[in-house]
Amino acid sequence: MANAASGMAVHDECKLKFLELKAKRTFRFIVFKIEEKQKEVIVEKVGEPTQSHEDLVASLPTAECRYAVFDYDFVTEENCQKSRIFFIAWSPDTAKVRNKMIYASSKDRFKRELDGIQVELQATDPTEMDLDVFKSRAN
Amino acid sequence: MANLVESYACTPSTERGRGILISGDPKTNAFLYCNGRSVIIRYLDRPLEVQVYAEHAYQTTVARFSPNGEWIASADVSGMMRIWGTHNGFVLKNEFRVLSGRIDDLQWSADGMRIVASGDGKGKSFVRAFMWDSGSNVGEFDGHSRRVLSCAFKPTRPFRIVSCGEDFLVNFYEGPPFKFKQSHRDHTNFVNCVRFSPDGNKFITVSSDKQGLLYDGKTAEKKGELSSEDGHKGSIYAVSWSPDSKQVLTVSADKTAKIWNISEDYNGTIAKTLTCPGSGGVEDMLVGCLWQNEYIVTVSLGGTIYLYSANDLDKEPLILCGHMKNITSLVVLKTSPETILSSSYDGLIFKWLRGVGYSGKLERKDKNQIKCLVAVDQEIISSGFDNKIWRIPLTGDECGEANIIDIGSQPKDLSVAIRKHELALISIETGVVLLNGTQVLSTVDLGFTVSACSLAPDGSEAIVGGQDGKLHIYSVNSESLTLKEEAVLEKHRGAITVIHYSPDVSMFASADANREAVVWDRVTREIKLKNMLYHTARINSLAWSPDNTMVATGSLDTCVIIYEISKPAASRITIKGANLGGVYAVSFVDNNTVVSSGEDACIRLWHVAPQ
Repeated sequence: MANAASGMAVHDECKLKFLELKAKRTFRFIVFKIEEKQKEVIVEKVGEPTQSHEDLVASLPTAECRYAVFDYDFVTEENCQKSRIFFIAWSPDTAKVRNKMIYASSKDRFKRELDGIQVELQATDPTEMDLDVFKSRAN
Repeated sequence: MANLVESYACTPSTERGRGILISGDPKTNAFLYCNGRSVIIRYLDRPLEVQVYAEHAYQTTVARFSPNGEWIASADVSGMMRIWGTHNGFVLKNEFRVLSGRIDDLQWSADGMRIVASGDGKGKSFVRAFMWDSGSNVGEFDGHSRRVLSCAFKPTRPFRIVSCGEDFLVNFYEGPPFKFKQSHRDHTNFVNCVRFSPDGNKFITVSSDKQGLLYDGKTAEKKGELSSEDGHKGSIYAVSWSPDSKQVLTVSADKTAKIWNISEDYNGTIAKTLTCPGSGGVEDMLVGCLWQNEYIVTVSLGGTIYLYSANDLDKEPLILCGHMKNITSLVVLKTSPETILSSSYDGLIFKWLRGVGYSGKLERKDKNQIKCLVAVDQEIISSGFDNKIWRIPLTGDECGEANIIDIGSQPKDLSVAIRKHELALISIETGVVLLNGTQVLSTVDLGFTVSACSLAPDGSEAIVGGQDGKLHIYSVNSESLTLKEEAVLEKHRGAITVIHYSPDVSMFASADANREAVVWDRVTREIKLKNMLYHTARINSLAWSPDNTMVATGSLDTCVIIYEISKPAASRITIKGANLGGVYAVSFVDNNTVVSSGEDACIRLWHVAPQ
């Protein structure tokens, strides 16, 4: 399954882990990395349900791009417990241009593989990945 | 969370050669004036209470309360008029494009249903009257060929409108629907202001030809004038009637305000002359006035507001002062109660006392512009746009003789070693200058474009920030007067704008034009707090709290953000809209209070409660 724009394949594990997050809620977040040598997107890290948003921010490198999926739980005004699955395109300003290009061109194809994403977020620095941002986008 | 504790308002914007129009609400004792793009509401009996309406997109010119006190109509230089509510958060009722040029005066009719506005119509209509809620015109106003400086509505029936302007004409319209009736050309210079008496029987026009003429309110016949004996010796800029219609107050460029008794035969004789109690310069020319209940308000060209009591004219007036232009620096002096020194772009330095407000102006013999200002115990060091540094000793309220030091290039940033305050470090285009007292110790060319600098409190270390975002740390050798480079720190991605050491010298914080601030440990030079990236425009100023736990940053995006060193940057306190137009200076008054000032010429104190 090659990506027409950048030629990146998506490893099967990515889709499997995502389905587990969606259906069984076994993970809080998953971080994906593009492995240039194998020319595919692989799972770099998963987070336990007990972990939180800060752990996700901590596991993202400061000068390299990543994709991440985060299961955000919140309580609405009517006191309902709800959750939203966020797709985060982590593209920090300090990353190299080539890195950003590869991730940007493969993003659409990759997102289509992950069926069930509710909100997409692009973050270029840690302030854009703040909990307030999640809260405002979750509505 | 942060809440506003005190606000030191700006003064009305004035222009040489023109009057300004201030107005008020007799019921609540409020008065209104405009500065920059805001309308300021203040109270005659509570001068420290200030409200600011900042919704205009262009410079505001005049604002008026409606007769019932519920609405305020304000106008700006683009010809837009906004009508908004006085209570309930200034909710907008209507917005009209009234004229195609600036609006100079506006007035409500006595029943609050119609508004007349006059100004510069760029060849087309100079005056327009319309219904306040629908905007539909209620008359045709021709007869003027140049800018109409003032207009007035007769407060009693039958309704009349008078307008006067730069073509020396005073025009009279009858209606509604208003139609041109008569024109008078009795003045020989710009007619600056026209006002009806509160009982509607007379109206008075004042002009730059130093005359004041009185007319019958119903027929517009010229009936009398203000006596020339003891009259004004300069252009009369504004006029205001007393509430009983028996006296008028006029202010003039000859720096006096005069109160005239108006007799039944329409002649005015002088009752009292009030001279502006200033230092006698051009800024004491009086340009605006208002007589409300028992208060008499006069405004000088320098922006100072003088409040007299109408019952006791010999009493010293209450002086309300403030900045008119962008406040570029703030310094907090450690006296008690805390004194704040603020300096603005036009070279004025004011002193403010917490809890009291304006407490004095620092008289300086030369009024050059100030860009940077630093104050230590008994001295102020400032720099402007020329090649000189000014060291001014401070004794109480007075400034002593300034010591002027020429350093050879324009200073870009100024820093003083707080514990050894003869030592100062000034950054110039490609280097720094070390100053001891009034002597230039050495000028060091550093080879890169310098944008900010800071000197450690004991004078042994200096940090210089470059245009490229690199922080260079030098140790200062006071014997050999050289700077030895110790380290170069790279983290910032924009020109460094400000660097400050923490009060206990264990840390320092730097901020750049790319919205980022970083706190470093001074000894190890490691980053202590990063990701302080929450501003959306360049950071102009930075301050440490006296107990070293918090850092406040003020930015061009009008916000002040306070970070706690012990917590991650994400848990920050943001003060949005601290100063319209951009925050240029921020400082801590004590561990829980931050003071901010900026483009809107206002100084605000905020109480910050750590979470």
